[in-house]
Amino acid sequence: MRRLLLGFLCWLCWGCASAQPQPTLPEGLQALRNAQVTVTVGSRTSQSQQTLPYLWDRQQPGQSGSARFEVGFSLPKTAEVPYGAYFLRLGNTYEVWLNGVLLQRKGDLQGLDGADYAKVPRYVAIPAALLHQDNLLSIRIHADVGRRGGLAPIILGPEAVVMAHFVTEAVMVDLGTYLLLLFGSISALLLLPLWLTQTEPVPGRPGLVRGDRLYLYAAMAEMVFLLRLGNNVIERPPLPWAWWNALNGVSLGGWVFFTVLTLLVAAGWDRWLARPWVWAVFWAVVLSGGLASYASIGWQQPLVLTLWYGALILVLVPFGSVYLVAALRRPVQRSHLVMAIAFAVNVATGAYAWCIFRFGDAYGQTAMLAYSNRLFGVALGYIAIRRFWLSRVQVRDLIDHMAQRIADKEAVLQQSHQQMDHLVREQARTDERTRILRDMHDGVGAHLSTAIRQLQSGKASQAEVLYTLRDSLDHLKLSMDALHLLPGDVTALLANLRYRLTPRFAALDIELCWDVDALEPLTRLDGAALRQLQFMLFEALHNVLQHAQAHTLWIQAKALPEGGIRLQITDDGCGFDTHLPLRNGLLAMHERARVLGVVLTFYSAPGCTEVVIEMR
Amino acid sequence: MQTRAFFAACVVGCPPLALAAAVGTQAEALHWLRQPGHVVDVLLVDLGLPDGSGLEVIRLAARLHPACEPLVISMFGDEDNVLASIEAGALGYIHKDAAPDDIAQVILDMLAGASPISPMIARRVLAKYHAAAVLRPPPVRVAVVLESPSLSPRETEVLGLMARGFSYAEIAKLQAVSVHTVQSQIKSLYAKLAVNSKTEAVFEATRMGLLRE
Repeated sequence: MRRLLLGFLCWLCWGCASAQPQPTLPEGLQALRNAQVTVTVGSRTSQSQQTLPYLWDRQQPGQSGSARFEVGFSLPKTAEVPYGAYFLRLGNTYEVWLNGVLLQRKGDLQGLDGADYAKVPRYVAIPAALLHQDNLLSIRIHADVGRRGGLAPIILGPEAVVMAHFVTEAVMVDLGTYLLLLFGSISALLLLPLWLTQTEPVPGRPGLVRGDRLYLYAAMAEMVFLLRLGNNVIERPPLPWAWWNALNGVSLGGWVFFTVLTLLVAAGWDRWLARPWVWAVFWAVVLSGGLASYASIGWQQPLVLTLWYGALILVLVPFGSVYLVAALRRPVQRSHLVMAIAFAVNVATGAYAWCIFRFGDAYGQTAMLAYSNRLFGVALGYIAIRRFWLSRVQVRDLIDHMAQRIADKEAVLQQSHQQMDHLVREQARTDERTRILRDMHDGVGAHLSTAIRQLQSGKASQAEVLYTLRDSLDHLKLSMDALHLLPGDVTALLANLRYRLTPRFAALDIELCWDVDALEPLTRLDGAALRQLQFMLFEALHNVLQHAQAHTLWIQAKALPEGGIRLQITDDGCGFDTHLPLRNGLLAMHERARVLGVVLTFYSAPGCTEVVIEMR
Repeated sequence: MQTRAFFAACVVGCPPLALAAAVGTQAEALHWLRQPGHVVDVLLVDLGLPDGSGLEVIRLAARLHPACEPLVISMFGDEDNVLASIEAGALGYIHKDAAPDDIAQVILDMLAGASPISPMIARRVLAKYHAAAVLRPPPVRVAVVLESPSLSPRETEVLGLMARGFSYAEIAKLQAVSVHTVQSQIKSLYAKLAVNSKTEAVFEATRMGLLRE
């Protein structure tokens, strides 16, 4: 750590010592560095021979005033082509004269605190007609305190060569500033939507989310830096210079403020933000920046601003060092390290700029901090891309995980369905088995046991036993037929019943009158219900065969107009008293009708007995 | 054994009928039918023979003696067994528990041109022809052309009335024809069913590549 700081200080000193630029001029150009200078500050006027550049704030610290520079130069012969003069810095306001002729004027030489034309390099065209072999260039300036007024060495030569040099050095510097403004604006415009759309949970507030502060702080830093950078090309500020300078100081302090916040969030050092004194320091930096900048011009104390810059560097260098070392040792993420490197470069660049601008002769140079600050943009771009990539990976993993879970669930569901199907089939088999057993019990079983009792008693005649056994067999056949009946097919049920019992009716010489329509299936009657209906009809016909002594039997089946079926069995037998307690067979018919949900009615009188079943 | 004796007694007890033979197994029946000079007018076959199905006996009889009229002895007259028998070549069925006089009468009726049918069988036949009409496969070119007989409207009507439980006499009255005509229609229908089953077999064989076009 000590070695790191020592190395940094050595580099800084070297920067201060080597700040004087001595560029090699292209062929055909000459640099005019010697001038006779007449300076007027207040009522005092002094004259001296000076070597350019002339740094007003360095020569006349804390004072505003005016100066006239007399620069003589000779040409080998009378010029045949137009000439040009290039001034890296000239102003704050100025007039350029050649051989007593005014070439260019910018601003009011008498006015105070006016427009600042010294911010950008100047080119002055010199017509060939004005040039002699011996010439005198007279430059008059007015300089305000703390605004880096003065005169840089004059580059002179044929117009084409000077213009090329001007374009190479000056225009590119301006263009660079505009490009930086454009780049910074785009960065801020991209960072704000990222802040709005990339959310993170609020600690200690379950269910609440907020925008990612990293992007917010970075966007704010970018915007205040744009203000600072814009000052480089604004010649006529909307505020008095002192206040405008204060605003620039605030913007620089704000840039530091938001940059450090960004760094803390990037490193996961958010806990520092919960401490009030940290915020107090931040605000102190911002406000003191404004105050120092105001003092520089408003109170004509540029040293205050120099000291403020120095203090800021003294705070930021250790912070940046600690941050870099921490990032190198235990990077929270790779983005942490990238941010640390960007910040270290910016602190170093800022310190170097402070050195050369405040102590050196780097007149007209552009602060490299504007460019090095772009490293933050690159770092944030890297962070955003990396986060999107990580999010994409997470989403892909999540989708894979969800797909796997869905597949697992589907497998379980399919297994459940198979089990359910198996259970349903098993239940259907059980139901069918139960139905067949009940049929055998109520039908064949009951008749066989009756036949056995008849035989055991010895009282029953052979005809009676035979009758019982025939009943048993008929029941068995009907049970077999019922297995093939389609659900609700009452017509088939009746037809089959007739088919099975016709020999019995024929044996008793009972005439059968059949009046059965082709009925639509009554779908609510499933196999079990049809079997119940079959039992009911069998019981009704059994009564006719065994008790009615009928000659004619009418069986009618009609569709009801409102839907449903009406079955009517009528005989002309002896009938029975419906007021007497019902026999077991009739009771069973009522019970089956109740289970089926059909209406069963009896009417009986000698010569006419009707059994009606209405199903809906 | 008892059943065979009972049916033999029924035949013997009916003067117009003469008992040619009574055997108890499929092998004996097939052997008897293959003997030269063994020709019968009516064949009574129980499906559940001790050594195999009576269907084989019916098929052999239908092949060797086309004039022979097989009758299946069925306990319940259930549609599955009866239809299988008809498709094998049987022209009717007779209940195992029928009275002796009824058994002889069924044989005589069949010889006179009648075949018994139950409503359930009529329903199944209707459904079978209906399904065949709906799902009839596209025609295929086969070396042996067998017409697949379809039901005439009159046959369809008769079957429909049968399925609703009407008797031969009632159907004859409804259609203003004789009972004999109705009975003959049923018998010819049985023959169609047997042909149909053969046609279906040919179609299936062609589809499976067993027969070359």
